[in-house]
Amino acid sequence: MFRRRIGAALATVSLLAVAACSPGEGVDLENNGGTGGAEASGSGETLVAAIAGEPDQLDPHKTSAYFSFQVLENVYDTLVEPDESLEMQPALAKSWEVSDDQLTWTFTLREDVTFHDGSEFSAEDVVYSYNRIIDNELTNSYRFASVESIKAPDPSTVVIKVSQPTPSLLSNIGGFKGMAIVSEENVKSGEIQDNPIGTGPFVFESYTPGDSIKLSSNPDYWGGAPELGGATFRFISEGTTALAGLTAGEVDWTDSIPPQRVAGLETNPDVEVGKVASNDYWYLALNQNREPYDDVRVRQAIAYALDRDAITQAVSYGNATVNQLAIPKQSTWYTEYNKYSKNLDKAKSLLDEAGVDELNMGLMVTTQYPQTVTAAQVIADQLSKIGITTEIRTIDFATWLDEQSQGNFDMLMLGWLGSIDPNDFYYNQHHSEGTSNFQGYSNPEVDKLLEAGQTETNLEKRQEIYDKAATMIADDASYIYLYNPDVVQAWNPNVKGYEARSDRAIRFRDVSLADN
Amino acid sequence: MNRKLLSFVLRRLGHTAIVLVGVIIVVFTLVHLVPGDPVRVALGTRYTPEAYAALREASGLDRPLIVQFFSYIGNALTGDLGVSFRSGNPVTLVLLERLPATLSLAAAGIIIALLISFPLGLYAALHEGKALDGVIRAVSQFGVSVPDFWMGLMLITFFSVTLGWLPPSGYVPLTEDPLGWASHVLMPAFTVGVVAGSIMTRYIRSAVLDVVGSSYIRTAKSKGIKHRTVVMRHIVRNALVPVVTIGGIQMATMLGGLIVVEVVFAWPGLGRLVYDAVLSRDYAVIQGAVLLIAGMFLLINLLVDLLYAVVDPRIRVS
Repeated sequence: MFRRRIGAALATVSLLAVAACSPGEGVDLENNGGTGGAEASGSGETLVAAIAGEPDQLDPHKTSAYFSFQVLENVYDTLVEPDESLEMQPALAKSWEVSDDQLTWTFTLREDVTFHDGSEFSAEDVVYSYNRIIDNELTNSYRFASVESIKAPDPSTVVIKVSQPTPSLLSNIGGFKGMAIVSEENVKSGEIQDNPIGTGPFVFESYTPGDSIKLSSNPDYWGGAPELGGATFRFISEGTTALAGLTAGEVDWTDSIPPQRVAGLETNPDVEVGKVASNDYWYLALNQNREPYDDVRVRQAIAYALDRDAITQAVSYGNATVNQLAIPKQSTWYTEYNKYSKNLDKAKSLLDEAGVDELNMGLMVTTQYPQTVTAAQVIADQLSKIGITTEIRTIDFATWLDEQSQGNFDMLMLGWLGSIDPNDFYYNQHHSEGTSNFQGYSNPEVDKLLEAGQTETNLEKRQEIYDKAATMIADDASYIYLYNPDVVQAWNPNVKGYEARSDRAIRFRDVSLADN
Repeated sequence: MNRKLLSFVLRRLGHTAIVLVGVIIVVFTLVHLVPGDPVRVALGTRYTPEAYAALREASGLDRPLIVQFFSYIGNALTGDLGVSFRSGNPVTLVLLERLPATLSLAAAGIIIALLISFPLGLYAALHEGKALDGVIRAVSQFGVSVPDFWMGLMLITFFSVTLGWLPPSGYVPLTEDPLGWASHVLMPAFTVGVVAGSIMTRYIRSAVLDVVGSSYIRTAKSKGIKHRTVVMRHIVRNALVPVVTIGGIQMATMLGGLIVVEVVFAWPGLGRLVYDAVLSRDYAVIQGAVLLIAGMFLLINLLVDLLYAVVDPRIRVS
């Protein structure tokens, strides 16, 4: 495969060396000037989606890039999948049962499923996929922390045994396509990273590096063949260009949208805007291994000094909801909490109590997420009101991650994206042993609650546990929570049946393109 | 002469190889000195220490740096530039796939630059101090200073959104659809060409002015040679050497990738590849790309040196 691609690339290069001396002068305006991005192919038309970046690779078990999952959402399936309110629904598994002791999960699989290469899907594929993640310690192996074994007693049954009750198991295996069921042959041939074969509504067709990925519809899809003939994902990182494509009719759908353009788009009759509150959250964290941030009063003072509305307005032009905890309002796990409304007197007296009168604090943000850079300027201004001088340190994300893991920061700002279960929101971030607890927070009571939440199967009791844990975490200002951003996407009015989702999954299987 | 030329080219190619080995050493050292860990970038923000260790080992990044260095050098000398950490594909393939877009944009860009700069620079010099000379100088100053992302966005707004004449972004290979390629390359090439053309206009103007003031032109004119002949045979010919130099530099710069223009027009060139590779610390791709770009730079320098001898026979290769 590689040799063939090298051959093709070489041929193009050598042809170019000849042809580049005389660039074509004629311009075919008829075919290229905004006559609609949809290309005819197969049964229906092809939808052109402009996404804001390029996938790093297409192996769902190895990538962690959102750009990859935007595409792979349409190529792969999971055993269960979240509906629009993020409740888990049947997908490749048509039903499941949990044993009374909560330690054995039995999934019954659909029998009408084939992979895109025509091979049959069976329980062995599920066993292979999950064991691949576990045995190779791939990115998502942590989602199987409580899993002891995965077995396929017959071709349509998968049995997962866990070491302790795991109420989050469904969202662990179905929350996103990083837990996709892959084809063993596709992995073994090494082609999965650039020619993935799944069971999903669209079939991977071709990849032009730096430019686009083409999918065609899967006529044998178990959920019924999509109406679209296919979907093309183009990589257009410049939002203005993507929106120009949308207006010119070259692009049918995009999420590459500068926040300051959203209000204008919403009043534009030629564009439909989808806006929903997301499950993402953005936060500040203070390094508790450093003085004076080990003092809870200093952390609380900073939390009291912030005007979250002003921060939110600056970073998102109002396309976000202020929240003093992680989990957003629309979630069933939402906890009401308003302790830190802006109060400068309180903030100053807390600093006095802690014996801090002058403080020079570093705030580490990254160009990868421009909203952190914007927010930092507003935050620095707000903190100056209580006598804290903030030195903003803007670095690229690779360096940022290094500094975070080595604890080289006073305060940092970042977000967590795509969590569904409350365990995802709190455990690794705030448990003393949590792998993402870079701020060095440790509260034995919170540890106990977070451990209990992992195994509590009674919904009401579980809700109580997380209400309590979240409140304590915020009271201790382990994180200083800021806001939940909106998911904002835009499409042409002739795109029918598409809906923006709070988990940012891009699903084109129920979409059709109406004639203009 | 031919034998001399051949030995000159061979010697220069030998030098090129030595420089490239130096480039490998410097780039390898630099990219590994820069903070940032490709494994962490690849894993995202949620992972276990075991997953970190496993990926480090699988990618060979756990080996001592000196071992990595010699294995890289050894492979590079046999033409194997390694495997991209991000995509898992061979670096040679990754680079070759981006080269057509970069080459075709650079070629179209330099042609537009020449089409702009040659007539304007020549005209301005021959009419030094006149009104149009002033206009050309002002316009070329504007062309040098206008930010390319702004010009790109303005072109898109006007030609794609308002007029609907040209596609706002994207790339079609020249070999697949020449007309489609041309319609897509026009705006990015113009953006690139205006900047390069403005710089070149100023160079050409001053190069021509230098020649115009020289005594042999005065002699030629006083001999009664026709104005046209003086301009074409004496002035232009003698002004070409600096023009070839600056043209070569502009071309080489374009071949190194034009990140801003590539981002604005979603053009799949080398610039964005290098940018993404740097952000994710994809060492093999950064090293390979710098090597390729340095190689193209050296090659163009060699061509420029050879062109000197063509445009001015007094210059001998030696």
